Amino acid sequence: MTTTPAPSPVRADAPPGGERIIEIEGLNKWFGDFHVLRDIHMSVNKGEVVVVIGPSGSGKSTLIRCINHLEEHQQGRIVVDGIVLTDDVRNIDQIRRETGMVFQSFNLFPHLTVLENITLAPIRVRKWRKSQAEERARFFLEKVGIPEQALKFPGQLSGGQQQRVAIARALTMGPKVMLFDEPTSALDPEVIGEVLEVMVNLAKEGMTMIVVTHEMGFAREVGDRVVFMDAGHIVEVGTPEHFFTAPREERTKGFLSKIL
Amino acid sequence: MFQVIPPRPAPAGAAGAAAWVRRNLFSTPVNGLVTLATGGLLLWAVGSLVTWSLFDASWGQVWANLKLLAVFRYPADLLWRPLTVLAVVMLLLGATAGAARQDEILRGAFWWVSGFVALVALVAVLAWSSVRVPWAIAGAAPFLGYLLGRARPEVLRALPWAWALSLPLGFFLLYGVVPGSGLLRIAPAREWGGFMLTLILFSAIVPSFPLGIALALGRRSRLPAIKLFCIGFIEVVRGAPLIMWLFMASLLLPLFLNTDPNNLPAIARAYVMITLFSAAYMAENVRGGLQSVRRGQTEAARALGLSGWQTTRLIVLPQALRAVIPAIVGQAIGVFKDTSLVFVVGLTDFYRVTETIATQPESLLITGGVKLELYLFISVVYFFFSYRMSVASRQLEKRLGVGTR
Repeated sequence: MTTTPAPSPVRADAPPGGERIIEIEGLNKWFGDFHVLRDIHMSVNKGEVVVVIGPSGSGKSTLIRCINHLEEHQQGRIVVDGIVLTDDVRNIDQIRRETGMVFQSFNLFPHLTVLENITLAPIRVRKWRKSQAEERARFFLEKVGIPEQALKFPGQLSGGQQQRVAIARALTMGPKVMLFDEPTSALDPEVIGEVLEVMVNLAKEGMTMIVVTHEMGFAREVGDRVVFMDAGHIVEVGTPEHFFTAPREERTKGFLSKIL
Repeated sequence: MFQVIPPRPAPAGAAGAAAWVRRNLFSTPVNGLVTLATGGLLLWAVGSLVTWSLFDASWGQVWANLKLLAVFRYPADLLWRPLTVLAVVMLLLGATAGAARQDEILRGAFWWVSGFVALVALVAVLAWSSVRVPWAIAGAAPFLGYLLGRARPEVLRALPWAWALSLPLGFFLLYGVVPGSGLLRIAPAREWGGFMLTLILFSAIVPSFPLGIALALGRRSRLPAIKLFCIGFIEVVRGAPLIMWLFMASLLLPLFLNTDPNNLPAIARAYVMITLFSAAYMAENVRGGLQSVRRGQTEAARALGLSGWQTTRLIVLPQALRAVIPAIVGQAIGVFKDTSLVFVVGLTDFYRVTETIATQPESLLITGGVKLELYLFISVVYFFFSYRMSVASRQLEKRLGVGTR
């Protein structure tokens, strides 16, 4: 009896020569019986912007949620800035301090003001003094363009403003990597631009970013690499130019033809 | 070309009192008849109640027994002690309302309660010479507290501690220190009763609050032993009526603690039982709140590096509790009235005193007895406080937008 050899998975390796900040080797994850991530190999260099695209249910959100252990993976190795992700709580918290995350639904804390939202973690986790934390918070609020909203509550802000606060909140912790999980999907069309603008500036300043998004304009403009996922696999990897002009795989072509 | 259309008044007959009456009470001939019939019935019922209470009722026995209704057999020469506790509590309430006076709900509740106390204090100063001074102090305390809180809002930070401390101190003062005689002699718990006992038992809602939160969190714990214990406790306690638990407490608790039933005052047993009973319901209320906090909140907190306990304490619990404040006030109303069940274990609370008074020789001499008068009196007092709590609950719901979601 012959067994068919396991197909060799597509690797999304960072270009050689750079300093590796994230390494994912042979990542597999199941939700119950459902095999949601299959043999994922991926690495990211410092300062790189990696855009992950794919149809919904393809596992792209789950992938970046594994990086800061919001989801538990069953097989494989994840290394963030030299720290190997294990089940140890201290180890997980260490990685979470180095990775900022921005969610689709903002997830600001509604009972705290904008300033308190931002300073909570620096004060409680980094043990900064309140004045120091507030100074940094105001710096980043300035940066995302809404310094005047510091004392308001999230419910008083528009969606675009809330998402910018969420970005400032993540940045104030001084992360080495930023993970964006469909940051513009829940926004009204007229405010998507203001959030993307913040992200573009962040990329230009050299922040390492992994962005799950449907914003192809963003991918084309600032992405160093685009990773296309489908049904838990990495299907194709390449530069934005390659992707939007000459995709190889049929699945990629099919997906792009639907959304472009 | 676009032009702004200026607002016009509504057509006649669509607004105003007359229109409201026509629309809501007399919209059809049948509705008109129903309105007239129920209105007549209501008028007749209220009318006869008013006539009865003004002309036929004999309020003398209620007036003569106000001390029994208030504190039952608590020694008359020691009445300054409960009144001191009252004064301290009112001072704290005043300070809280004064320091947080932008909070309309708290302020409204404060005026209601302190108005009641001030009214009784006024009666006391005029009519009851033996307790004139402590009542005057208790009557003035809330307003002094209010002024203090308003002048120095920074006391707000110390107030939670002051409240927490007032509970054990209050018990201490009520119970006394030394046996024998003197100002600080022990007042045996079997002599406590009346409205004071009702309020004491009502205060069981305070310890039941942290206990309920702990049970609710325990029920969500990942550790099976803690989870099972909490589920078991909550379900077992909720599975039987309070009256049965009170019986159990008077029989079982001494057995568990391996002590003679007489060593543990019935009040303590009832207090513990009401606390546990209320905690089980509190836990379910809090659990509802915990479930209403979206998962993204926890994820965002964890992603920022906050620990599990920090996330619970700083992110999840504040939101969960805010969402269930109206339910908790509702529970407080329930506990307030449920305390009347303690008569089954031999305690004489506000409700039970009516029995004592109704069987006095003086009462029995009155034709028809005085039960109706007594019941009416305590109903009014119960209603005065329960209704105010329900008003506060509705205001809270409105503020939190719970009712409108």
